[in-house]
Amino acid sequence: MRSVSFVTLFFLFVFPQICLSLIEREVDMYKNIRCLVCQGQSLNDSNSDFAKDLKQVIKKKILEKKTNKEIYEYLTDRYGDWILFNPPLKKSTILLWAIPGIFFLLGAILLIKKTQLTTLNRDN
Amino acid sequence: MISNLGLLFLVAGSLCTFFAIFIFIKDNIIQSSIVYKNFFVFYKISFFLIFSAFVFLVISFAISDFSIISVYENSHTDKPLFYKISASWGNHEGSMLLFILVISFYGLLFLLSSKKINITLKAVTIFFQSIVQFIFLFFLIFTSNPFAKIYPIPVQGLGLNPILQDPLLAIHPPFLYLGYVGFSLVFSLLLSALVTNQYNHNWASISKKWVLLPWTFLTFGISLGSFWAYYELGWGGYWFWDPVENASLMPWIAATALIHSILVMEKTRNFFSWTAILTILTFVLSLFGTFLVRSGVLNSVHAFANDPERGVYILFIISLITLSSLIIYILKFPIKLNNKGNFVLFSREFSILLNNYFLMFVLTVVMVGTTYPILLSVFTSESISVGPQYYNTILAPFVFIFLILMASGPLMNWNKNSFFSIKNKLFVFFVISVALTFLISFFVKEDDSIFLLGILCSLYLIISVFYEMFFYKKFIFIKLNFPRIFSHLGFGLLIMAITLNYFFSREITAKIYLGENFSSQDIKIKFLNSTSRQEKNFQELFGSYEITKENKVIILNPSIRKYVQPQQFTSETSIKNDWFSDFYIAMDYASDATTGIGIRFYYNYFVRLIWVAFALITIGGIFSLSIRKNEKKF
Amino acid sequence: MKKNFKIIFLVLAAILFFVTFYYALKINNKNNPKVMLNKVLPTIELVSLEDKTTKIFLPMENKDKYFLLNIWSSWCVPCRDEHQILSKLKDKIKIYGINYKDDPSNAVSFLNELGNPFYFIGTDRNGSISIEIGAYGIPETYLVNSQGIIIFKHVGPINNRVYSEINKIIK
Repeated sequence: MRSVSFVTLFFLFVFPQICLSLIEREVDMYKNIRCLVCQGQSLNDSNSDFAKDLKQVIKKKILEKKTNKEIYEYLTDRYGDWILFNPPLKKSTILLWAIPGIFFLLGAILLIKKTQLTTLNRDN
Repeated sequence: MISNLGLLFLVAGSLCTFFAIFIFIKDNIIQSSIVYKNFFVFYKISFFLIFSAFVFLVISFAISDFSIISVYENSHTDKPLFYKISASWGNHEGSMLLFILVISFYGLLFLLSSKKINITLKAVTIFFQSIVQFIFLFFLIFTSNPFAKIYPIPVQGLGLNPILQDPLLAIHPPFLYLGYVGFSLVFSLLLSALVTNQYNHNWASISKKWVLLPWTFLTFGISLGSFWAYYELGWGGYWFWDPVENASLMPWIAATALIHSILVMEKTRNFFSWTAILTILTFVLSLFGTFLVRSGVLNSVHAFANDPERGVYILFIISLITLSSLIIYILKFPIKLNNKGNFVLFSREFSILLNNYFLMFVLTVVMVGTTYPILLSVFTSESISVGPQYYNTILAPFVFIFLILMASGPLMNWNKNSFFSIKNKLFVFFVISVALTFLISFFVKEDDSIFLLGILCSLYLIISVFYEMFFYKKFIFIKLNFPRIFSHLGFGLLIMAITLNYFFSREITAKIYLGENFSSQDIKIKFLNSTSRQEKNFQELFGSYEITKENKVIILNPSIRKYVQPQQFTSETSIKNDWFSDFYIAMDYASDATTGIGIRFYYNYFVRLIWVAFALITIGGIFSLSIRKNEKKF
Repeated sequence: MKKNFKIIFLVLAAILFFVTFYYALKINNKNNPKVMLNKVLPTIELVSLEDKTTKIFLPMENKDKYFLLNIWSSWCVPCRDEHQILSKLKDKIKIYGINYKDDPSNAVSFLNELGNPFYFIGTDRNGSISIEIGAYGIPETYLVNSQGIIIFKHVGPINNRVYSEINKIIK
């Protein structure tokens, strides 16, 4: 009897919460993966057959306790980095972050040169 | 028959443009005459010819003349008339004709309206405008003829894509074109001033409206696109940093910097280089955007008929126009206008300088994000995607600082270090903003630092605008700077709405069986029933869903449409508002409700405030066009 | 003087810009074919279309110098187009087929109508096998060597150009 009530409680309270975070994790992943046969849509937003199939494959891997990293690696090994919407941090993508950084520094330097950094002038 | 007339007028329009250019070179350059009457007459006639060609194209679509390839590929007799007409610019050839028509239209508008402008400046502007016009006409006729024929004449057309039959989508291109193509005129005006040695302080006053008019249209066009994406696409979002969206945003950013530059140029005799470079940059970005979107280098939701071959021609045109205009700038920019002194800290022009730096930084980020995948695939064989997270991560902190700048800048005086006169006001704003932020944070129970910063900085700007309206100018109508008030207020509300929307929106993806429900925290979705109906060219499956959120209960009725010709599914969203927020739901494709149907439900928090914000910014632009004569006092 | 330098710099920049984007136009965005090249074909289990009890594993099943792996289905129109060429290749190289998300009876009718160039046909009812080997749109064809390495991959129907390329490699 006690085990039955424990199981009931589990299904009423704990299981939905586990399911919820699992679903959240899934949805987050689907938003980051490109539907390859669509134009610019993510798996989450796509209704296409390919997207449905790929989601099934990923669901299975989640149940097999694979981590996000492992699943993303599985996908990029087969489809390239292009399938992920968030670009990986690699040697080839460093410029993606470096260029804005360089521009920011350049801008700051130029700005400082252009302004009077001596004492603030009091107006009247 | 109509198609032949159309082609005839188009060719005539091109010849007329060419002849106008020829006359100008012969009479005014070679013979140094200052009489431009013939030149102007030919230019005006070229407009009417191009306009007529466009009208003939529209008529061909309206009557479904399938002897023309573009009509055959993009229309269908069953289409409602409105969409037959909008299909004329919903394809590459027709939209390029509209592109040219807008160039010609702005030229004509300038020609007819600028009475007090130096006649030579005016004429040389039209000269440059007609060169741009001619280049594109040449490109159109030889590579993208909208009147190209097909034989044998098909009985029926191919173009019945239901996704394209939407009112907002239909009017979106004309507004965008009136926007970014319109920057061609200020571009010509700049080149003209440089070449005729009239690039000076006065140029700013002349050119201001020729930046504000396209800017307003572009703001509206981009807002419309965002609005459409939200209502139609079913993903609950309003901006995706999609490459095609970015292509229209980039000229907008440059144009916004340009507007502020021109203001400084008008008021103080400064920013001459900035204004010139920004003018060229804005138009070049418009062209570059056009290239990106049509050439097939990008992969995005906006699937235009991508044609790499035509892309090469557009690329060549852009390179040519950019190179020549920059050479003219280098050769003819008056040296004496170069910046002598430094900027005074905490002066109005200094704040606008900062503003421009920020805008250029944002432009760089958008440009890098959009073109990096393309460039990477050229130089290595790798390809990556750059999704929204890149833009959001980098831009968020800068937007917050930007808001503070926008709040403080307009309070500063020209050419004076205003720190001491405004520091008290700024402090008061800060205190009020912090207090309100705490209140809001307490009320909605959110204390994430990004959230707090977003609310704080937007409030800071909003308070500053209200201060300016009510206290500084004491709400005296004549003294109020409506353009700035509306656009800055709009921007402040925009960031606030985006922040609220980002943190409090809810998304639920689930598969629900008929009669069952799905709950997630405080939201319950129940699949009540499903009905279907048959229309002329589609079958529609409706789902009736009862949504319960806290105490509120509403019913939403999304649907799935199965079209027959061509075979296609679309998902129609169902949206109901809750003050400024939306209950929003879309169904996944399913043929019937016997198995569960997947749904995507969104509670889009404060999304309607985003539309209000867009509207305010656009209204700010409209106000700027109706400026009164004595506008000295801002 | 300084102006001339600026202009020369600009001209060079314009040329660089043009050439870069021109090249971008030429290379297609469909970069997927390259990703799997020179990698070992992931192990897949194929259940025979004709007889559910027969299973093989690729690439280990193969003992030949090369083999082709072709993903197709009866509802795929371009698959009909390439079928002729597949038939031509049938005698030169072993072709393993993966019948993708298809009704077996339709698949059999398709083969009866157009001929059967396949040495063995496996079924992929839910699309997971194709995903396992990095395919996304049918038809897709892989040319694999005896070490199991994918040396050539083509997305879309095999045309004459691809046919001659395959021929060149397997000579």
